[in-house]
Amino acid sequence: MQEGKRWPACLDSVVEEFQGCFDAMERYELLFEYSKRHPTPLPVEEWTDANQVHGCQSRAHVICLVDEEGGFILRGGADAQIVQGLMAVTAMAVNGMKPAEVAEMEPEYADAMGIRSSLTPSRANGFLNMFKRVREEAALLL
Amino acid sequence: MTLDIEAIRADFPILERRLPNGKQLVYFDNAATSQKPQCVIDAMTHFYEAYNSNAHRSNHTLADEATTALENARNRIASYFGTSPDQLIYTSGATEAINLVAYAWARENLGDGDVIVLTEMEHHADIVPWQQLSIEKGVEVRYVPIDTESFTLDMNAMEVAVADASLVCVVHTSNVLGVRNPIEDIIEMSHAAGARILLDCAQGAPHERIDFDSMGADFVAISAHKMAGPTGIGCLLVKHDAMEQMSPFMTGGLVIKTVSTEGTTFQEGHAMFETGTPRIAEAIGWGAAVEWLDQFDMTEVHEHINDIVSWTAMQMREIPGISIYGEPEREDSSGAVSFLHESIQSQDLALLLDEGGFAVRTGHHCAQPLMDALGVPSTNRASFWIYNTMAEAEAFVEYLLYVVERFS
Repeated sequence: MQEGKRWPACLDSVVEEFQGCFDAMERYELLFEYSKRHPTPLPVEEWTDANQVHGCQSRAHVICLVDEEGGFILRGGADAQIVQGLMAVTAMAVNGMKPAEVAEMEPEYADAMGIRSSLTPSRANGFLNMFKRVREEAALLL
Repeated sequence: MTLDIEAIRADFPILERRLPNGKQLVYFDNAATSQKPQCVIDAMTHFYEAYNSNAHRSNHTLADEATTALENARNRIASYFGTSPDQLIYTSGATEAINLVAYAWARENLGDGDVIVLTEMEHHADIVPWQQLSIEKGVEVRYVPIDTESFTLDMNAMEVAVADASLVCVVHTSNVLGVRNPIEDIIEMSHAAGARILLDCAQGAPHERIDFDSMGADFVAISAHKMAGPTGIGCLLVKHDAMEQMSPFMTGGLVIKTVSTEGTTFQEGHAMFETGTPRIAEAIGWGAAVEWLDQFDMTEVHEHINDIVSWTAMQMREIPGISIYGEPEREDSSGAVSFLHESIQSQDLALLLDEGGFAVRTGHHCAQPLMDALGVPSTNRASFWIYNTMAEAEAFVEYLLYVVERFS
């Protein structure tokens, strides 16, 4: 992340795209589109109890690892497209970062995108549970 | 008398509510809980404002007023359900009522070799207590399957299952499918086999008049909050002879007649099972709710709801990708339409519907064995009640079509 930035520069265009949405329905529509663009998806065959994110209303699974160059990789999958879209954006944000950076990252991009304010409290908590899990796994990879 | 829906709606201030995005609320989650009329809110508020006190304890004026109101509510609720107040045990709701049968009656009267018959349609509240009893006491639990074509109970299997049963536990009306089971036949079949029968009427009571004494069931479990009453209260209706076979399973409070260092003696009748300080405000609120409901002919209420549900289901069947679970168009069906879209996941669909102001339920509805039988993990469910209108249904169908066209 650049100094002063609250999310990686690669997310700027994504945040701007969401900020340009007319209303919540357009934001959801965009999340549906992003659900198909997860850079490192986790297919259903790899979903297990161990990698399930608890506290989500829908099923969500994550696996976090580090590549050969020490970059963080978030693999994720969800049955709900809105959750999958949020995971895709999160993966775009954290993939390639150092685990130490991921462990300290805040999900401010979701606020800037207008997503968290659109979600019901329970769905927002589900997103935060997913984000917390990613940060915890990043801390374990240090 | 014809129902005046606009006048009915005027009794429910929450129906005027707009959501944070400015959309008018359309409340289609009535099978989860109904909204409360102003008279129920007022009755509970009045209790706290004017005569809040503990019941059946002190002898000052407020305590006397609270005790009188609590027992008047029992009389009113029992009368609404066609029985006497001494056959009504207050509980926290239908779940506790079923647990009361499991712990206070079945634990005392059933054991190794006894058979309890359930159905695949049951709510978890009418499954888990019996599974636990099975572990503890060795009773056999059998499940009557549903026919997944007609979404009704397999009554041939029911007849075989109850033949040597000691207890039959059946949901009056499915919270998922809206199917009203042939409880009259099941009661007759069960009694012919010498079995006691428990009906889970949590969903049935808001849609038809439950007449306990004439229906013949041994136990009936009811929740207040699905029929205009407050949360946190319900009842178990119990036949006298069945109550005589019950022992207290929670102790303290009104349950006790005398306590000494030598031991304890217990109250008789319903008081034996009403532990601790009663749910006074809730009972008063429920009493107001049944008094409010009593002004309507429940057959007319059912017809009103069924008209809306039938129309909604027929329209939804025309929307591409929508599958409906159940046969809401049937005349005896209650107010639920369970559905899924082939490509929009149920949680997503519920969120998108909420954005339009429509409150529907999503999930397994605490009926996972039924979900397994249907071959789905969850459904969306729109459920309707007395204050819903055809105009709301039309708006719902129109908005659902818009969501499907935009997001599928």
